[in-house]
Amino acid sequence: MTAPPPTITRPIVTPLRKRRSLALFVTPAVVAVIVIGVVLWINAQDFTAPGRAPEGRALDFGDLLSQFGQHAYLVGVSTVVVVIISIPLGILLSRKSAGRLGDAVLSIGGFLQALPPFGVIILMAFSPLGFGAGSAIVALVIASFLPVLTNTVVGLRAVEPSYIEAARGMGMSAGMTLRLVELPLAVPVMVAGIRVALVLNVGTATLATYIGAGGLGTPILSMLKLGRADAAFAVAALVTALALFVDWLAAVVERLVRGSSA
Amino acid sequence: MSETSEITTSDDTAAGRPMIALEGVSKTYPGQERPAVEELEFEVPEGKIVMLIGPSGCGKTTTLKMMNRLIEPTTGRIILDGDDVTSVNADQLRRRIGYVIQQVGLFPHMSIGENIGMVPKMLGWERQRIATRVDELLHLVGMEPGEYRDRYPRQLSGGQQQRVGVARGLAADPPVMLMDEPFGAIDPITRDRLQDEFLEVQRQVAKTICFVTHDLTEAVKLGDRIAIFGTGGRLRQYDTPDEILTNPADEFVAQFVGGGAAVRRLSLLDIARLKLDEVVVSATDSPAGNHPVLALDDAGKPDRWLHVPGTTEAPPLVTVPFTGTVYDAVDVMLDSRAPLVLVLGDDGAPRGALRWDAMVGDLRARGNA
Repeated sequence: MTAPPPTITRPIVTPLRKRRSLALFVTPAVVAVIVIGVVLWINAQDFTAPGRAPEGRALDFGDLLSQFGQHAYLVGVSTVVVVIISIPLGILLSRKSAGRLGDAVLSIGGFLQALPPFGVIILMAFSPLGFGAGSAIVALVIASFLPVLTNTVVGLRAVEPSYIEAARGMGMSAGMTLRLVELPLAVPVMVAGIRVALVLNVGTATLATYIGAGGLGTPILSMLKLGRADAAFAVAALVTALALFVDWLAAVVERLVRGSSA
Repeated sequence: MSETSEITTSDDTAAGRPMIALEGVSKTYPGQERPAVEELEFEVPEGKIVMLIGPSGCGKTTTLKMMNRLIEPTTGRIILDGDDVTSVNADQLRRRIGYVIQQVGLFPHMSIGENIGMVPKMLGWERQRIATRVDELLHLVGMEPGEYRDRYPRQLSGGQQQRVGVARGLAADPPVMLMDEPFGAIDPITRDRLQDEFLEVQRQVAKTICFVTHDLTEAVKLGDRIAIFGTGGRLRQYDTPDEILTNPADEFVAQFVGGGAAVRRLSLLDIARLKLDEVVVSATDSPAGNHPVLALDDAGKPDRWLHVPGTTEAPPLVTVPFTGTVYDAVDVMLDSRAPLVLVLGDDGAPRGALRWDAMVGDLRARGNA
């Protein structure tokens, strides 16, 4: 096994081992406090006052719920696509036969991620995909595939060569070595990358409203147009709560995966 | 020269059929001009331990890895148990060969039991049979199955990990074991104990073993035969440890074996192979001809010398087990400055005495022979 090339030796994010067990209980509580707080605040508003009707329409619970659904859909689909693309690609690039190709692809990925998501989303609307959820999902994938790809490559490269030598030496095929030894050992690093992608996507998906893909960005945008900073802030808080919740969910999954493999 | 003792030669030439045979094996790595291993030609007899030793870069590890095809030879053939290794699927081949490496390589996400049971599982054994085998092997390497089976590698010391490594190599009861410096990264005291345990295990399982080391003491201690590699991947000498220490084939081997050869050889000579002086057990300080006189204590154990021929004052009593080596005998005599040592049988009864002057005379006679 050749030593990993020096350019990329560390994952973008490292799994949080110690802080996690505490966060596992604190996060749901914080999320609940934010959501309840926003709901109470909205209920306390008097939208029948003159000039506040648009605000009332934007903060309608039914609309918020459907926008939340759109948001979750954008995040969910784009993250699944990222995982489906990045993990197999990362596995291929981490093979010894891929040589330095892995570094080249990761560099290109770094360039793609450096593109501002806002610009990418707007540009996608002028692609054949046009306005709507399809373009938004492609833009989200471009914005968030790199952490998953990098962490897959780095996590697999970081598996000690002696484990692989022992596995091959006892008669495991290359595929069995990957499945039984390399992937289980790389899972914590890979899942950390997926968590970053999820949280990035929750934030970036607020921009999808600019190309008519809906999501929680819609009420934020309209409140900003009306100059209602407090209402925009309330919806932004909901987005934050969603990001925290998604990250927490991923942490729970990570713990379950690790529990079954270690 | 002496009429009191006689040193017999070890006879390992009566070896079994060859289990592994290398026929004109060479390996040249891509992009390199000089071969890592050149024209290797030797046989490993069934049930014997062959130590591969030599300076860094001599090709000893390459040779080992060609035997289970982790490295493919450039030319030549390797015959394992009658079959050319290249004629079978490499993965299938390796499941029939135990493999133990210096870094141990226990899988950190699997328990000790799962690690040991991996190869049997790949071979399709039933769960119950695997579980029984795991416990059996843990016993064999001196670890209590109930205590260790469900632990994880990181909870074990380095020495314990390598015991498990050896157990994992033995799991499917392969006829051949390949070991790449398995005790190389372990502290000297633990290493010594692991070597003793390893020999004890080998007495029970009698595998054909190829063992790479860079430690001559280890090679002499464990090997039935030693293959000394020179730089450039050539086999310089392949013989019993005794023969290599006594008659190095060339200047390179002599240099490699070094100045300590005579002392190293002492550890190859079992006391059991020497003829011992007769010891007279007596209650009184009466000279008994030319024999040393020993007094017993109330429990019937040797207590002290009453009279030793050639001395005026009786020397301190030191003992060595009958199963020990001449090295042990010399060690205790030097340590207590005694001119002789009492040899005890397994039951603790005196078997005879070994005298310093007679022994040195014998060794000199043997060295000249």
